[in-house]
Amino acid sequence: MVKKLVVFLVLTLELFSDDIYTRNCIECHKYLPTTLQQMFKEYLQTYSGEENVKAGLKHYLKYPSKSISVMSKLFIDSYGIKKRSHLSDKELDDAIKIYWEKFKVFGKLK
Amino acid sequence: MLVLKNKATNSLLRSEKKSLLRFLTLYVAMVIFMLIMLALFYYQGQEKLMFAQQRITLTKYADIQTKKLKELHHYFDEKVDYPRDTRFKSAIYDIEYVPIFSLLENTPERFDTEMYITQNKKQIHFVKTLDEYYLGTKYLIIEISDDSVWRSHIWKNIIVYGFMLFFLFILFGLYLAKLFLKPMRDSILLLDRFIKDTTHELNTPLSAILANIEMMDTSVMVEKNKKKLNRINIAAKTVSTLYKDLTYLTLEQEKKNQDSDVCIKELIENRVEYFDILAKSKKITFILNLEESTLFIDKRKLLRVVDNLLSNAIKYNNRGGEIRIVLKKHILAVSDTGIGIDEEDIPFMFDRYMRFNQSEGGFGVGLSIVKKIIDEYNIKIEVESTKGKGTKMVLKW
Repeated sequence: MVKKLVVFLVLTLELFSDDIYTRNCIECHKYLPTTLQQMFKEYLQTYSGEENVKAGLKHYLKYPSKSISVMSKLFIDSYGIKKRSHLSDKELDDAIKIYWEKFKVFGKLK
Repeated sequence: MLVLKNKATNSLLRSEKKSLLRFLTLYVAMVIFMLIMLALFYYQGQEKLMFAQQRITLTKYADIQTKKLKELHHYFDEKVDYPRDTRFKSAIYDIEYVPIFSLLENTPERFDTEMYITQNKKQIHFVKTLDEYYLGTKYLIIEISDDSVWRSHIWKNIIVYGFMLFFLFILFGLYLAKLFLKPMRDSILLLDRFIKDTTHELNTPLSAILANIEMMDTSVMVEKNKKKLNRINIAAKTVSTLYKDLTYLTLEQEKKNQDSDVCIKELIENRVEYFDILAKSKKITFILNLEESTLFIDKRKLLRVVDNLLSNAIKYNNRGGEIRIVLKKHILAVSDTGIGIDEEDIPFMFDRYMRFNQSEGGFGVGLSIVKKIIDEYNIKIEVESTKGKGTKMVLKW
């Protein structure tokens, strides 16, 4: 019984120690053939600047639709579009911020 | 209209000078403004021409860089080396004008202009707006150095042709000014000619009148006739002064100067005595304060100066007024208690044929003669006048 409780606590702690991006984004995307990095580049190619990218991404997460998706038609036809996010605005902002910081181009070119 | 010219009419009157100066100032300002505008248009035209020539090359560079960016976009972040080219420098900016990466020497100044020269005039920037934002790039800036050869060439042309045009326009302006002043000048020449002819005819009768008045024995005359003779004498002397002025103006001034040391005190005393009869006719009193003073001058000319100053002081004085003459070593001041003139008219009182009081006789030549003579001998004149109180003329040498 004690052993089971310890395992449960460890798993719970591990789950809540991850950030909101890891918990809510990576979890689903790891099953998709396209990386989050690749998708980030699609957003960059469509929206260019930081504010634009963040706003476009947030809007898509809240109101996903084929017409505003940055992914190719083939990808959409194969995997469909995501379900509407139930995260709050603040949580979305936090997740997107982490995503931006992780894959942004600034400071990486040499 | 054929009219004779002499030295007097060849020189410009003050009013003519003023009109000429105003016209030329306005004309020169307009010419300079026009030339600046022309230079500006020419410069801008040449700059556009240079841009047109560079645009082909820069568009080619921008296309090359775009292709490289596209490739980098696809292989990012396995590849992070920004594409470089020895022929140009480049930078990429996102839609919010934030630099993504830059190799430029100068920060871009504008994003809404396709091509421009940087403020330090050393580089040319070409801005390409991308349709696909590779790595988030909205603006691709291509920078090449500006050798400025074209600019030196333009400046050289502007300076050379600008000066040529300027002098051409000035010559044209002078011709125009001469054309505008011609009617005024012709009128003066005509008047001069008339006066010259008239003066010549006055000589003999005037000399006869004055000589005969001098020869008359007044001791045997009855008082009534004496008064009549006195009036004839005054009238003849007035005409004589006028005659001498006109003669001087038309004939004598062209004669060579016979300068000598002239005792001014003695000359003034003589002229006061001469004009005394005129002064007395208006009950004007002379108040003299004369010190010894000599001046190296042509006596005939000094006589004209003194005669005109005294004649004016009498002519424009009030009945029962005073004429104060003060002579010091280098100053001669003649002041009257007459009608005076407006301050704004003072600069024009030395212009020939200029008269401010039509009730008095004369041609308006006296003070122009005075000015001409004192200018010749570098004598300064100061005029102080108050309307209704009098005028003071001060000569300083």
